Amino acid sequence: MIRTFFRLVGQGFMGLCINPWAQILTLSAVVLVSFLVGLFLMAITTLDYQLSVVSGETSFQVYWRTGQNQVEIDEQWEDIKHLPGFLLSRTYTPEEALKEMENRLGHTATPRNFAFLSENNPLPATALLTFSPGVREYETWLKETSQYLWNLPGVERVTVTPLRDELGQAWRTVNTYVMRPAIFFLTLLLGLVVGNTVRLAFLGKSYEIEILQMVGAFNWYIRLPLLVCGAVQGLAGSSLALVILRFIHIQIRDVLNFPPLLMEIQFLTPEMTALMLAVPTGMGILGGWVGVKRV
Amino acid sequence: MIEVRHLSHSFGPHWALKDCSFQLQKGEFLFLSGPSGAGKTTLLRLLFAGIPVQRGEVRVAGFALNQIKDSAVPLLRRQVSVVFQDFKILPDRSVYDNVILPLQVRGLGRVHSDRRVRAVVRALGLDSRIHLLCGELSGGEQQRVAVARAFVVNPKVLLADEPTGNLDADLSFRLMDLFKQFQAYGTTMIVATHSQELVKRHPEAKIIRLEDGKITGANWPGAMLDNGLAGAPLNGFNTGDGYASGTRSLSLSRQANIRATMRQMGPDGAVERKTTGDDKK
Ligand SMILES: Nc1ncnc2c1ncn2[C@@H]1O[C@H](COP(=O)(O)OP(=O)(O)OP(=O)(O)O)[C@@H](O)[C@H]1O
Ligand SMILES: [Mg+2]
Repeated sequence: MIRTFFRLVGQGFMGLCINPWAQILTLSAVVLVSFLVGLFLMAITTLDYQLSVVSGETSFQVYWRTGQNQVEIDEQWEDIKHLPGFLLSRTYTPEEALKEMENRLGHTATPRNFAFLSENNPLPATALLTFSPGVREYETWLKETSQYLWNLPGVERVTVTPLRDELGQAWRTVNTYVMRPAIFFLTLLLGLVVGNTVRLAFLGKSYEIEILQMVGAFNWYIRLPLLVCGAVQGLAGSSLALVILRFIHIQIRDVLNFPPLLMEIQFLTPEMTALMLAVPTGMGILGGWVGVKRV
Repeated sequence: MIEVRHLSHSFGPHWALKDCSFQLQKGEFLFLSGPSGAGKTTLLRLLFAGIPVQRGEVRVAGFALNQIKDSAVPLLRRQVSVVFQDFKILPDRSVYDNVILPLQVRGLGRVHSDRRVRAVVRALGLDSRIHLLCGELSGGEQQRVAVARAFVVNPKVLLADEPTGNLDADLSFRLMDLFKQFQAYGTTMIVATHSQELVKRHPEAKIIRLEDGKITGANWPGAMLDNGLAGAPLNGFNTGDGYASGTRSLSLSRQANIRATMRQMGPDGAVERKTTGDDKK
């Protein structure tokens, strides 16, 4: 049984050599389609990436309650610098705030001295924090960051000035109406073309299949070599296409990376790469499967 | 072993078989004669589930073909070997590879199959061609490859469609002798043929005559009754008193010959024989 299994798998591989020209043509078709689909995917990945990194800025104004221990607040300020998307901060201890106020007001007509307040400073510690989170998962980020700031001990109030949201909106639109359908249809196209190509490649085997059915071969016996052959063609074809794509990507990665475009061409994401390998392999198997008519 | 009752089959509006009935026991030999287009091939195809039964009942080697599942068809075909009118051998494989195919399909390794393959190939006089590609063989040689492939598994039932169609008289007689040897081994056989000469040489065989899809003659009472035929003997054929004594009527020397061939082919156990259902039909 096991021996038969391996013999059939072997036959699947051998099938590639028995009629090399037909197999090479099939393989070329798989490579070509995978390559074109990969190229498209690369284009939209780049577009997606560009839109997602455009850095809108979001700022938070954080007010602490008066009379908090400044040492603790200093520590909190240090921690804040490690939040995701953190860009810069301006912090004011109550003293600094007072000084700042003096400076500002000091330029008005009548100079004032607020030194009398320094004993019992009514001003809170404040921080003006600027973040550049990118638009990917912006909502979640915004929520989490606000929450974090609100929950800092001693914080009294947090106000947010969110990102100009047109960019985020544009990205979401592109992502929903272009990116995902494009991935879906390209994958579908890839699958259909590869599956059909492999299926057609097996039409020439219909006579042999008929004979095997006549001498009492079970379905799996007939199909296994075809499935292996289909899988090998799908996998080999798409791998080859990915290698070519990668090579091309290395060559052209930076051709658009100059001002004002500053656009670095992105390679496929790992998920897409997996999809590019899995779909042709799966459809090669499927093509081998449907290539066999029932008895 | 084979039981056909009121079998009819149509291709579109055309009825290729009309209400045919007959039965064969284990080890019996039947000639299916009749002119071209009579429905011989159609009947044989029905018997190995090559086409589904539309009307009537068919039982072969314990399988009820009216309700056979797709998954059981391979099991049936392991009991029923077929020699096709158009051979159905692979032209780009050697004689050896074609003949070993049914054994490979059954999961038998080369070591076990080799002896059987060579013995059958020798019995059919193809030893000198064994490593040639089948596409390079003559029609008669290809036909013998098809026969070898059918016999290599010791089938319970052998269906042969014009197995002598491409052979000269001498070779066809020798082939029929070989068939008889396997019959002695317990294989039930149906041979479709045009050749009256061949039929006449085997008075011990059962004969059914098909014309335009109907059984119009048979040389044994059961089939005559089943098909509503008058008692008149089959015109132009032996009435075959000796049909039932198939193996017994063989000469002693011939029986020795058979045993020798069987021994060459190895023990029966070398070929997987799945017994499914009753074969005492
Ligand atoms: N697949 C099919 N589709 C339509 N008609 C068919 C089909 N197969 C057979 N027939 C018809 O059924 C009838 C019987 O055909 P069949 O092949 O059984 O004849 P046969 O007795 O084997 O003839 P021959 O001796 O020439 O081989 C013929 O009239 C044929 O045209
Ligand atoms: Mg015919």
